Amino acid sequence: MAKLIGSAPNQISTNGDLGSMAFEDRTNYITKGASVHQPFRNIIINGDMSIAQRGTSETGITSGGYLTVDRQSFVIVNQGTFTMSQETDVPSGQGFTKSLKFNCTTADASPTGTDRLYLSNRFEGQNLQYLKKGTSNAESLTLSFWVKSNKTGTYIAELFDNDNTRQISQTYTINSSNTWEKKTLTYEGDTSGALDNDNNNSLELNLWFGGGSTFTGGTLNTSWNANVNNKRASGVVNLADSTSNEWYITGVQLEAGTTASDFEFLPHDVNLQRCYRYCYRINGNSSDQQQCGAIGFANGGSTFNAMMRFSPDMRTAPTVTEDNMSQTTTGSAISLTGTFDNSDTSDCNAAGLSFSADSGTPFTVGNVMFPRVNTSTSAFIQFDAEL
Amino acid sequence: MINTVEKIYTENNKFCFKVTDTNNKIKFVPNNEANSDYQAIQEWIAEGGVVIDNPPSE
Repeated sequence: MAKLIGSAPNQISTNGDLGSMAFEDRTNYITKGASVHQPFRNIIINGDMSIAQRGTSETGITSGGYLTVDRQSFVIVNQGTFTMSQETDVPSGQGFTKSLKFNCTTADASPTGTDRLYLSNRFEGQNLQYLKKGTSNAESLTLSFWVKSNKTGTYIAELFDNDNTRQISQTYTINSSNTWEKKTLTYEGDTSGALDNDNNNSLELNLWFGGGSTFTGGTLNTSWNANVNNKRASGVVNLADSTSNEWYITGVQLEAGTTASDFEFLPHDVNLQRCYRYCYRINGNSSDQQQCGAIGFANGGSTFNAMMRFSPDMRTAPTVTEDNMSQTTTGSAISLTGTFDNSDTSDCNAAGLSFSADSGTPFTVGNVMFPRVNTSTSAFIQFDAEL
Repeated sequence: MINTVEKIYTENNKFCFKVTDTNNKIKFVPNNEANSDYQAIQEWIAEGGVVIDNPPSE
């Protein structure tokens, strides 16, 4: 019968009956209190910037939104003009293949008032309940990321609680021009203000790189408090002060706890599926047509009804945009700008939608139709349920 | 930036919003409060925007 007689630190006897002591190294065993790398610990979706369904570059940006890399919302209000692009410039030897770049193309050296520039990641409250925000057991959060810019100086990384209008900011410094640097910031847990358990925007990570006095006029708020706008981004650089300025980022990870674990690389398909909850886009190409998974029938002289199912379910009923669609039977281009049945949860919801379209081309009533994206690199249909 | 918003009616008096932005890009927005484009329309209305509304005759 085995005797458990090992007592050396980090060791345990594996067979006490052997006559000689046999020890097993437990250094890499999970022990109580040790850091455990939980799967899906990264609250950020697409933090490696690898998915860009909408396109890899957008120029002339003066108003913000989700423009290139998935889940990355650019907030720009009256502060210069930027190009936003997915790039292959990445920190060496870290496993990343893509980064997100902001390049100032028209300068604004003197931001005022409510002018602002930041990159925003937004999260559903139902995915954050394990943070126990608003309780005495609230979890700390640790943010880590790689960043590079010619513009050295102080930048701001803010967490903003939309449900309770509370926020906390931390500074980080880009020390060396045009050099990839890894930054790690820890935010205390917030014992006030529980996050709603729903599919709405409860929490934002805002990475500031410019702002007017409305957001910079006070003293930076580095503890969770009720929001005061002028304490959100005090001391931040102005990335818009020169057309020479550019700012890269990748490997963004936000996780519970006070230490940063290694970046959690997900398989491409898993990462893409996570992005589909917020944006599902079918792009055309120059060689063949792309079916969008919808099927329908002609119900009138020039109109047809079609329906499609989302997988996975989207966050909510999506906004729809399209360009250069057709249907298989005749190949004639249709436009969705006439009638589009996107009107309530019975016809359009997070699970799918039905729509009608008017081609202007006579159809044979009852014919089966397969809406598709045409053979063109500019053709697409997009379903958008972003936060 | 929103330029115009028009209600597009379908059967049973249901509707979505046809939104045209200042770059003449068009999007169709569901009548759903959780949709962020719907929320943007409400902000646009609060700032004085007027929705084009021509419901079908009964």
